[in-house]
Amino acid sequence: MHQTKNIFGNKKNLFFLKFLIGAVSLLLFLGVINLFNSQIKNNFYSVSYPIEQNFWFAGQSTSAFFRSVFNSGNLMKETENLKNENQKLLSQITFLQSIRNANEAQSDVSVACQNREFEFIMAGVIGLDNQDKFTINKGSDDGIKEGMPVINQQNALFGKITEVYKNFSKIMLISNKDSVINVKILQNQNNDSISEIYGVLKGNGGFEAYLDLVPVDDTIKEGEILITSALEGTFPKDLLIGKISLVDKNDQSPHQQAQVKLFLNIETDNLFVISNYKK
Amino acid sequence: MWIKYIFITVLFYLLAILQNSFFAHFNLFGATPNLVFIFFLLIVFFEKQRLNYIIIFYASIAGLLLDIFSSGHIGVSMVLLIMIGLLIKKIHSLLSEKNEKYSFIYFFTLFLFSFIIYKLSLGIYFYFSNDQNNLINFDWKIVFDMIYNLFFASIIFGVYKKFFAGRLDNRQLSLFNK
Repeated sequence: MHQTKNIFGNKKNLFFLKFLIGAVSLLLFLGVINLFNSQIKNNFYSVSYPIEQNFWFAGQSTSAFFRSVFNSGNLMKETENLKNENQKLLSQITFLQSIRNANEAQSDVSVACQNREFEFIMAGVIGLDNQDKFTINKGSDDGIKEGMPVINQQNALFGKITEVYKNFSKIMLISNKDSVINVKILQNQNNDSISEIYGVLKGNGGFEAYLDLVPVDDTIKEGEILITSALEGTFPKDLLIGKISLVDKNDQSPHQQAQVKLFLNIETDNLFVISNYKK
Repeated sequence: MWIKYIFITVLFYLLAILQNSFFAHFNLFGATPNLVFIFFLLIVFFEKQRLNYIIIFYASIAGLLLDIFSSGHIGVSMVLLIMIGLLIKKIHSLLSEKNEKYSFIYFFTLFLFSFIIYKLSLGIYFYFSNDQNNLINFDWKIVFDMIYNLFFASIIFGVYKKFFAGRLDNRQLSLFNK
């Protein structure tokens, strides 16, 4: 008796064949789709933009309401702290002004002049993904290019453009885990001089970042301000980053670290993309 | 019948927009509710027919939306959700369905399991594809992310069970079966 083996009659083989064809088709389909990745995403964002923007503003208002409810007990204390901080900053400004005046004759470009030479593209934030990336409503049609720095009105650094579509872009925030920036810490020592300590700011996700690679011999304190140093050339110098909230010093390590409270704020409507920063 | 699938697709789309815009303001330590993922799991959990092509359809829509609103390649979440959906279907068929009062415990367990698989698989994909921008750190924040999503999943589970679970499969409702 001959048993004729029919491969295609075997149920198991048929299932395997179907699965294989399905998997290969899916992968091919996805491969083709990814060739048009930016066009698909841009079209999708264009269609979703009106709804997304409205939900973004609604989320802002709602979260502000809940924050005011939960923080109502701390308002007086916070006001007092802000007043003290304001006075401290005013005195620092006065001190820095005197330094700038003294050096103006020698320096080529002051901080204010440097900023006035920049050209900005104003963009609105419409979304945030779970990788610390904002979506903004400006794209290549508006002159946006990858690598452009992004700041807010108060000169606080938010990040840089990492993905550009036709009408939308994504900003990788400085709190993104892949973000590494050279920074300097401004210190006011006995009102006679300003010393600068250099370090590296590393993103930690969740809008958090920490300062690293600060020599253990240097003294850094809570409340000191971090600004960009422009050593790596990605960001202009003297942009506000944040302030030190907790120092982690270990004498057995050649470097110390510190938690940083960033100045970037999710509750922001408009950002400014620096379009003509030359490295 | 096809109206049900259009309705679910539109719902997925709205949830994707909500999680990227409205709920972005309610992040805790960087964790935001992944509404698309939660709703996908609910749909698969309560779907009585549980045919492969239905699960693949839901996974494709949910995965596509998750990929479009995130950085990285389109299709990663789609493939992962297809795998997770089929796995859930297999596991769920092994669970007792006689006593519905344990459905939340079953869902709770399946959600945790699926969430861990999803995050782990995404992390492995981004690591091997050298996508430095999207690397996932497996630290306490992932655990918090899981708990935060579980909180939202529990709420949506209750709402879904009360208002939708029976109705989307009820053949007597002509609206969804035309």
